[in-house]
Amino acid sequence: MIGAAPILLLIIAWFAATGPLGLIAPLKFPSPAIALASLETIAGPGYASAPLAEHIETSLSLVLAGFAAATLTGIPLGLLLGTSRYANACINPIFQLLRPIAPIAWIPLTILWFGLGGGAKIFVVWLAAFAPAVINTQTAVRGVNRTVIEAAKVHGARRVNLFFDVTIPAALPGIFTGMRLSLQACWMVLVAAELVGAYTGLGHVMIIATEDLDSGMIFVAMLCVAMLGVAMSLLLARLEAWVLPWRR
Amino acid sequence: MSEIRFEGVERRFHRPGGNFLALENICFEVAEREFVALVGPSGCGKTTLLRMAAGLDFPTGGRVLVGNREVRGPGPDRAVVFQQFALFPWKTIRQNIGFGLKCKGTPLTQRREIIEHYVTLMGLQGHGDAYPHQLSGGMQQRVAIARSYALEPDVLLMDEPFGALDAQTRVLMQEELVRLARDNPRTVLFITHSVDEAVYLADRVIVMTPRPGRISAIIDIGLVRRTERWIDCEHIEEVMAQKSFVHLRSRIWRLLRGLESSGETVGRAMETGVG
Ligand SMILES: Nc1ncnc2c1ncn2[C@@H]1O[C@H](COP(=O)(O)OP(=O)(O)OP(=O)(O)O)[C@@H](O)[C@H]1O
Ligand SMILES: [Mg+2]
Repeated sequence: MIGAAPILLLIIAWFAATGPLGLIAPLKFPSPAIALASLETIAGPGYASAPLAEHIETSLSLVLAGFAAATLTGIPLGLLLGTSRYANACINPIFQLLRPIAPIAWIPLTILWFGLGGGAKIFVVWLAAFAPAVINTQTAVRGVNRTVIEAAKVHGARRVNLFFDVTIPAALPGIFTGMRLSLQACWMVLVAAELVGAYTGLGHVMIIATEDLDSGMIFVAMLCVAMLGVAMSLLLARLEAWVLPWRR
Repeated sequence: MSEIRFEGVERRFHRPGGNFLALENICFEVAEREFVALVGPSGCGKTTLLRMAAGLDFPTGGRVLVGNREVRGPGPDRAVVFQQFALFPWKTIRQNIGFGLKCKGTPLTQRREIIEHYVTLMGLQGHGDAYPHQLSGGMQQRVAIARSYALEPDVLLMDEPFGALDAQTRVLMQEELVRLARDNPRTVLFITHSVDEAVYLADRVIVMTPRPGRISAIIDIGLVRRTERWIDCEHIEEVMAQKSFVHLRSRIWRLLRGLESSGETVGRAMETGVG
């Protein structure tokens, strides 16, 4: 685990600034003790109408659903756009037109379409995670080394062999980069989506805690998002190392 | 039918600021089961010629024929060993060597046998399951050679296949190639920067000049090799010590230095007497 030292320093600074030094008022930012108390409250009896586990379950399942949807749709589309000039000419303009609209800007419309349930949030998460998956896959396919393709051709590769033995494996590192960016986008947009309208979830906890002026609880929810995001990224890195043993 | 024929081949490349004439009026042929080496300074168009025989590049004038048919693309009758190896980084050494066989649909057991044969032949034992980046440059080049040999193509197109090898391995590979050519001759077009290598391996050596790439001379080695019985020599250094070898080598060097005018040598090169 690299990066443990800076994080440790940050924690020490936090203790110092909020505790003995009294540099930051508890209302602005919680001290470790306050944060711990908030954690005990939400983990035990619960907060914002549910215990922590339920909030995490809600957020996590929405992220997983949106991420899975984005991966399963974005990667094939990226492969198509990367390999077919025709598809690229047809689809790319639409893509370019919609891209400047921030995924969060879709929230009002999606609430009209899906209501306040999970559907709207999965849709918005999918929307946010879709673009990095498509763009990185497409770029990776375009960037496949030409000499390697030629080597495959002169050794008898037909279209199927070229696609499965050359294009896909050569593009996989780029595809994984896209998945990593997708995953980050998922968490960013999910919390925003839950802020707008939800009954459970970590974003919902933050909104209720703001109304209660409970900085400790806001902090706990933020920390949960950070930890879940890091954990999922680590899992993805494991998967990548397992799928791509040939990378140095 | 596997002879390669270049008929008045010209190749221009489009470049910002005008056309670039890379090859002009290239006429020669590699007969069936003949070994022809191309030598010439860097940038004279050797790789471009080879790519046209492979069907990866096309002339802007003239024709390239393999087995009496105009080349329209890569084909199973020809395999290429690239100057930059071009191995598949995501495949193990065994998978790299077996790639062509897999595309061809060779049954797995037979494929395994052939792969093992070439792993041993190329001295890659113990590295069969490694990935290319885990091997030295010379080993990677041997994998590239094995990948092409494994297909047993009628035509082998080799672009400086021994360029990255250390001197010792290079000699081993050259001797191996001579043995392969003797036991199982194929049509080979072979690019090299080494005059020694060209004279040792080839039936004929084609010397090229740059800007634009042209053929300056074609030297027949095969006749000398047969009459001087180079084949009886077991090792390359014995061949290289022969007077006939030294003579041919210095002749090609003179051509490369431009000491002999090219026009007359094309005609004269055909007879290539010894001494
Ligand atoms: N795709 C291309 N576009 C423009 N010019 C090219 C292209 N390919 C080759 N050339 C030019 O054609 C000439 C011949 O190139 P080629 O690679 O065939 O040389 P070579 O004899 O193989 O050189 P080397 O011994 O260094 O490998 C060079 O001047 C090169 O710049
Ligand atoms: Mg070259």
